[in-house]
Amino acid sequence: MNSPGLDEEMLTRELKALASEMNQLAAPDSVETEVLEAFRARKVVTPLAFRRPNVSYWLAAVAAVLLIAVSVVAFRWRMKDETPPPRIAKEYPRHEGTITPMPVHQPPKDVEYGMVANFPKRNERKPIRTPRVRRSENLPVANHAEIATDFIPLRPMNAASFQDGGQIVRVELPRSALASFGLPVNMDRYNEKVKADVIFGVDGMAHAIRFIHVR
Amino acid sequence: MGQMNLKTELNDCELLQSMLAGDEEALTVLYRRRQGAIYRFALQMSGSKTIAEDVTQEVFLFLMREGHLFDPGRGSVSAFLFGVARNHVLRRLRVEQHLAPIGDEFDDDVPSLHASTEICPLDDLTRAETIESVRKAVLSLPSKYREVVVLCELQDISYGETAEILGCAIGTVRSRLHRARALLLAKLRPASEMEEADSATVKSARCFA
Repeated sequence: MNSPGLDEEMLTRELKALASEMNQLAAPDSVETEVLEAFRARKVVTPLAFRRPNVSYWLAAVAAVLLIAVSVVAFRWRMKDETPPPRIAKEYPRHEGTITPMPVHQPPKDVEYGMVANFPKRNERKPIRTPRVRRSENLPVANHAEIATDFIPLRPMNAASFQDGGQIVRVELPRSALASFGLPVNMDRYNEKVKADVIFGVDGMAHAIRFIHVR
Repeated sequence: MGQMNLKTELNDCELLQSMLAGDEEALTVLYRRRQGAIYRFALQMSGSKTIAEDVTQEVFLFLMREGHLFDPGRGSVSAFLFGVARNHVLRRLRVEQHLAPIGDEFDDDVPSLHASTEICPLDDLTRAETIESVRKAVLSLPSKYREVVVLCELQDISYGETAEILGCAIGTVRSRLHRARALLLAKLRPASEMEEADSATVKSARCFA
């Protein structure tokens, strides 16, 4: 049996033999002919520093820039049309009384409440669209401004629940109710009550709630 | 003709500069100086004469188009050409892999591998057979091992220049070559020796049992 060292030597020898066998091989003359023809076919062969810019390249580049510019303008124009109301706290009229029916006309989708702007994400509940509710004409308009959170779903909801309308009722709740929805509670005002709007469907069930902060 | 002789004294870098300036003689000299190595490299990497010819042509066409990309600070013209050839070969092999097996035509391309019957026909036949088995073993290596064997062993290029061509460290070249040689030894080991090794394994297994 051969030793490993001898194997290595044999391998080296055989590789050298293969190399020497192939050492005389070269590309056929036809390749040289084609290369030289291709060289002659080039009208101007100059170093890059003196080379003229490729016209088609620049045309393509200009076209791409124009396309991008048009796209940006079109996108902005479209976004302008579709821009939702600004994401700021919206003011609602203040109502007196413990339970008062309140008109609702498309409240903002994303209403922030103090520092808890991402509250719905925390509870993994998406803000819901407020159902279309018939507007009451004779409601008092308060002088005080109110800031409302998003509506927080209280139960699984579907569009069918509000096809026949619904109602929003203003209620007062213990401030501890805020904590149960993951909202911060000011302990100095723990004994005070907090206002909230509750959406009731035609089935009489409470479907969602939002909390109101009165300035 | 005299001008051609003058050109042959120029180094590769000067020839490339002249070629880029439109000097056809410079291209001719450079081509004749380097085409053999490039062709053999492509042939040894692919085992296909067709691919080797195409790659050789593409390398010099690339040199005409993109010769200004060559940076003397990063290596020699030869290493640059091998690098381009390597890229073309690997690309072609990837394409060919999906179309048809390669290597079948190689046998017809290397007449020297067949026995010449001048002195000792039996020795020549044995030698040709051995070389053929080595060639097939090299071709069967994975490409990253095959290229170091081709460059370092068959093309006799230094480890440093091979590292430039492959774009890796010299240590990587060494380790790949070591691994490649081990693979070649395993492939070239005679069948009888393999059987011996197998039986030894079985015996030792029985001992452990």
